[in-house]
Amino acid sequence: MKTAELLAARQSQWNELDSVCAQLENDRWRRLNGTQVSRFAALYRSACADLALADAYQLPPNTIQYLHRLVGRAHNQLYRSRTFDFAAWTRLLLTDVPRRIFTDGCVQVAFAAFWGVFLISAYLAASPTLWPDYAEHALGHEQIQAMEDSFSEPIAGRNAKYNPLMASFYIYHNTGIGLKCFAGGLLVLPGILITVFNAAVLGASFGYMARPDVPAGVNFFHFVTAHGPFELTAIVLSAGAGLRLGLSWLRTDGLTRTDSLRKSANETMPVMGAAMVLFFLAALIEGFLSPSAAPYVIKAIVAIISSGLLMFYFVVLGFPRETEL
Amino acid sequence: MVRDASAASTKSLDSTIDVVTPENISFEYELAGPFRRIPAYFIDLAIRLVIWVVLLIAVSLSGMAVGGGELAIAIWLLCWFVMEWFYGGLLETYFNGQTFGKRMFGLRVLRTDGQPINGLQAVMRNILRFVDMMPLISLQEFEAGPLALPTCMFGLLAPMMNRRYQRLGDLVCGTMVVVEERRWAVAMARLDDAAIHRLAAELPGNLTVSHKLSRALATYVERRRYLSPLRRAEIAKHLGDILLPQLKLPTSVDHDGLLCALYVRTFVAPTAREATAHV
Repeated sequence: MKTAELLAARQSQWNELDSVCAQLENDRWRRLNGTQVSRFAALYRSACADLALADAYQLPPNTIQYLHRLVGRAHNQLYRSRTFDFAAWTRLLLTDVPRRIFTDGCVQVAFAAFWGVFLISAYLAASPTLWPDYAEHALGHEQIQAMEDSFSEPIAGRNAKYNPLMASFYIYHNTGIGLKCFAGGLLVLPGILITVFNAAVLGASFGYMARPDVPAGVNFFHFVTAHGPFELTAIVLSAGAGLRLGLSWLRTDGLTRTDSLRKSANETMPVMGAAMVLFFLAALIEGFLSPSAAPYVIKAIVAIISSGLLMFYFVVLGFPRETEL
Repeated sequence: MVRDASAASTKSLDSTIDVVTPENISFEYELAGPFRRIPAYFIDLAIRLVIWVVLLIAVSLSGMAVGGGELAIAIWLLCWFVMEWFYGGLLETYFNGQTFGKRMFGLRVLRTDGQPINGLQAVMRNILRFVDMMPLISLQEFEAGPLALPTCMFGLLAPMMNRRYQRLGDLVCGTMVVVEERRWAVAMARLDDAAIHRLAAELPGNLTVSHKLSRALATYVERRRYLSPLRRAEIAKHLGDILLPQLKLPTSVDHDGLLCALYVRTFVAPTAREATAHV
């Protein structure tokens, strides 16, 4: 058969496929019924066959290009993006992630880096003799003043209508920092810098507030106790996940750099998901319980329970098991 | 499929990429370069800004009208958080790899093997956009407070260094951005000149045209009507000078007419005899 006849014979089917594609592209919520779907698939397959035989048919280059684009568009409508599988996520969060964290060296390094810098910074800020001006240098005069002002009065429960506002502010602000730690980890250095910087500032604030000559200190610890465990763990987790991402293209274990990156992306994204859950929980506690007038005992109990939950999650759920699969 | 060297070189020029489907067909996509993706990004940025302002106005109005503004601000903050980090990820998940900006410019995110992306990849590649903005330049020198100017160096350099124009986020997730265009079908060129058909009938009966030559013929004849007669003669001369002696035709034959006749013979007329009958 000569090309002209072939084109005349096939053109109507290509046009039909083209118009179905256009319909599907323009209306995302449109669903085809059974016969339409099978018709669409049949049209797509025959266009695929035409493209495969294009050389044998001696189709003109223009027509081949047209077919490439048409098959491409139909392919994208037939194979659509898959949305989130929440059941699989729960499984992932409760079994895979804790085990991965338990054995992940990067999380341990991030843990050591964060808490090491935190403790050193806190000790320097608290000690009145070692480096008396350290807190001033690290935090700046204005921030110290602002902190002392905001914690100058005992925490007696603020107007409850501000609680949701503050909770969502903490979600916005703290989770944002966590995501930056994670994304910055891809380039290794920015991730470490963001993590260490946050550790130093937090450590300096804690240390300064622990000084006996700072009257606001009591109220400060009254405020931070309840949500501390979740929030600080979440920062460590996001930094660790970012570090793993960044190291994966430096140490590839025999894979190509891109493959190694891709593999670690699949592993670290769920860890970051766990960190985000912790940030959300911390923000809820920080927004509702921490500023309330509840006695310190209750806040301490919440801190102990949340630390216990974290221990359970990391150690009991995360302990490596022999019987995999 | 065996490709000759010329096809391979036009490929790298055209920035297309081959994809093999589950149907065992290989077809090509056109990759999206920075000049389509940056405008699309700015459209998305503008849309986010508009939503942000509209929400802000709605929040302040509801605060003034009903009171309870604190709850409204809380919701606004949450929306802001979602829009800042998850706008692209959620849209690409639920709109088959497209945000509004990508849709306007006919772009789509796919996995590098041509398969659709999943939600995790969509979210991850958008979170990692933060890295593209780096390194940040602090504006503290200019008394602008804690503001920092994103230089976007990583976002610009990374796509230049790989074949598929992938950002860092794309590299991590194994995704790429392709152009999805609607093209209009090209019909065979219509040649109504009787002289051409006569010439086609005079060509040797056992004439076979190679693939390469048939591609050249189709490209020339389909574009011929946009060219002036002088230009046609100029272009057709290159092939005509070679073909005329090969086909043992007199040198007086018009080169343009010869190419058209060969085109008719290759693509349109079944055999020399039928062609004669047709004329």
